[in-house]
Amino acid sequence: MSVKVEAFSSPGCGKCARARDTLKAVVEELGEKRATWRDVNILEEMDYAVELGILSPPAIAIDGELIFPALPSPSRLRAELIKRLDQAR
Amino acid sequence: MLTIGKVAASLQVSTDSIRFYEREGLLSPAKKSAAGYRLYTEEAVRRLNFIKHAQQCGFSLSEIRELLEIKGYDKACCNDVYRVAIEKKLRLESKIKAFKAMSQALSKLIEICSHDAKPLDACPILSALESSMAKQHARSKNSHSRRLGANP
Repeated sequence: MSVKVEAFSSPGCGKCARARDTLKAVVEELGEKRATWRDVNILEEMDYAVELGILSPPAIAIDGELIFPALPSPSRLRAELIKRLDQAR
Repeated sequence: MLTIGKVAASLQVSTDSIRFYEREGLLSPAKKSAAGYRLYTEEAVRRLNFIKHAQQCGFSLSEIRELLEIKGYDKACCNDVYRVAIEKKLRLESKIKAFKAMSQALSKLIEICSHDAKPLDACPILSALESSMAKQHARSKNSHSRRLGANP
């Protein structure tokens, strides 16, 4: 079972990019078999972002569901991923 | 200095709109004349022009206020405006999606109508709307009962 993490952001946001890198590291720590990370350019996938209800980037969706409308702290993201992985066991 | 009438005429807006923008904190006269008339600078005309264009682009008054704040903030940069524009586009796209869903729902209702001279009691559109309203009412009643059950 692998949890799919999608990070929605707009190009050119330096602050978002730094925060995103920290969160991406959290996902990568879990290993590819448990969690995957995808960067989503909101301008290229506007329809998908709207479908998920994203109103303000950056935001994070997990398994196709908007979970964090604003970027969470690394510990909150880790806790959410571990909770989901435990539930899937 | 320009009077409210001259400012209004130069941008083809009403004087009431200018007073409304003042109440909303978007535009203020530079000063008032001895007789109490509002007097504006050229900067106010540029600001009003900005408000007018932003409204035409679909920005609400609170969004325009945010844009004006960004515009007046020394440390702000183009990225700040870019963020507001993206958020606006997301909201617009979201509304378009909702409107499309409404339009599809109406298409379904139109399809079931035989558009003849049946009495209103037999109108399929009205009865479909009534039944969907009844379903909605039942759903909200059930969820209310569930909430009460959960939190007596």
